[in-house]
Amino acid sequence: MSFQVMMEQLAGGLMKSISIFLLTLLFSLPLGLLVSFGRMSKNRIIRSVVWVFISILRGTPLMLQLLAVYFGPYYLFNLKIGSTWRFTAIIIAFSVNYSAYFAEIYRSGIESMPPGQYEAAKLLGYSRSSTFMRIIFPQVVKRILPSVTNEVITLVKDTSLAFSLAYAEMFTIAKQIAAKETSFMPFIAAAIFYYVFNAVVAFLMERIEKALNYYT
Amino acid sequence: MKKYLAGMLCAVMVVSSLGFAAMADETESFGVDGLATEGTLVVGFDAEYPPYGYMDDNGDYTGFDLELAEAVCQIEGWELVKTPIDWDSKDMELNSGNIDCIWNGFTMDGREDSYTFSVPYVDNSQVICVSDDAGIASLEDLEGKIVGVQADSAALTLLEEGGDQADLAATFGELQQFADYNTAFAELQAGSLDAVAIDVGVAQYQIKGREGYSILEESLNSEKYAVGFKKGNQNLADIINDDLAILYDEGIFDELAEKYEIADMVCLGESLGFELGDDLEVETETEAE
Repeated sequence: MSFQVMMEQLAGGLMKSISIFLLTLLFSLPLGLLVSFGRMSKNRIIRSVVWVFISILRGTPLMLQLLAVYFGPYYLFNLKIGSTWRFTAIIIAFSVNYSAYFAEIYRSGIESMPPGQYEAAKLLGYSRSSTFMRIIFPQVVKRILPSVTNEVITLVKDTSLAFSLAYAEMFTIAKQIAAKETSFMPFIAAAIFYYVFNAVVAFLMERIEKALNYYT
Repeated sequence: MKKYLAGMLCAVMVVSSLGFAAMADETESFGVDGLATEGTLVVGFDAEYPPYGYMDDNGDYTGFDLELAEAVCQIEGWELVKTPIDWDSKDMELNSGNIDCIWNGFTMDGREDSYTFSVPYVDNSQVICVSDDAGIASLEDLEGKIVGVQADSAALTLLEEGGDQADLAATFGELQQFADYNTAFAELQAGSLDAVAIDVGVAQYQIKGREGYSILEESLNSEKYAVGFKKGNQNLADIINDDLAILYDEGIFDELAEKYEIADMVCLGESLGFELGDDLEVETETEAE
């Protein structure tokens, strides 16, 4: 296999990894906020249910969760799962798993806000929702960005777990080329791809951090 | 109110899923051709298993088994979907209908109760592959050595407790499981493994790409490769058996075996009831239709 073909194959795999990455972020970031509300709910039942949810998702391997989401419909309900379900299941499993981590990050940010701000907002006549949206949340975003960057970078590398559902993302492609060539070279190439991808992610996150660095 | 709405939603989801479980039909039915999706043969294979299934120079999946599957699809007018799977999950993939068959140097011996098989087409054996300078010349020399094997493979079944070669495995220093043979060979090269238990065809491919390795003359067993279908899917097995007979008759099967350098291992002719070298007269009624 020529070097060029190898690069093309890995780039194709990288696109698959990126699609998992982007879709997971798209769904897990809002979902995580929702989960964090549940975690901080005044209703004890909701609070406990969400606590259990987070505890399970953080306490079991993502690979296991992928298998559960993908094969669950068949083994639990005997439903035939078509080929389109493969990618959907990956996105569901990744999004739900990452929402649990993001929820706790959101919570750390929201709970770090001094109560005085809520009181001042109330005096100024802000409703509860606009207090959150206009005053609290923008500050929370600033505070949690470094932790979010951590999770996002982990996500880039976690995309390789998708192969447990036979989804040929970049690392799988690298393994297949390595098997064909009986060489370790493809792994080095894959490492460089991952590194560059993550460097771009880290750079963008830093830019966002800087852009939000007002008032300081 | 919103809080309770969320709670109710959860409750509804749980109850409805239980309902689904109760309604789910326990009986399994296979279509006339036994395919999950009409007109599409989804083949599950390990893409790290040359020469049977692997990625070729152009980045496409190919191999002896996949080309055979391609030829079968040409006869039937099916579309072939090559799905590289995680070998450890092959049963789940097959049972849930994501793949129609496992066609990938799949050993049938010892698995007869778990799958429905086609006619065997390759005579395989499990062998031990060693580094030339390790000083291992026979199975006895493996005493106290570290031996690598692929997880969930036929070689592992042999060496595990209850397997035919369990007594031999008991003399090993350690039996280590690997997800793929490429890693196992890298460890063999690096010296952290003394030997690898492996299918002979794959061993030959691996040795070709590396220097200083050989296969022990004594093999662990002899066994046969066949296409594996979900237990009970006789319809699909019958169709593919007929097609294999046609491909054998037309000489395509032997051409492919030559191409992938496993001509000395194929056994489809014998399985179909011919003596090698005989003039072949195969019933090809499927073709006439």
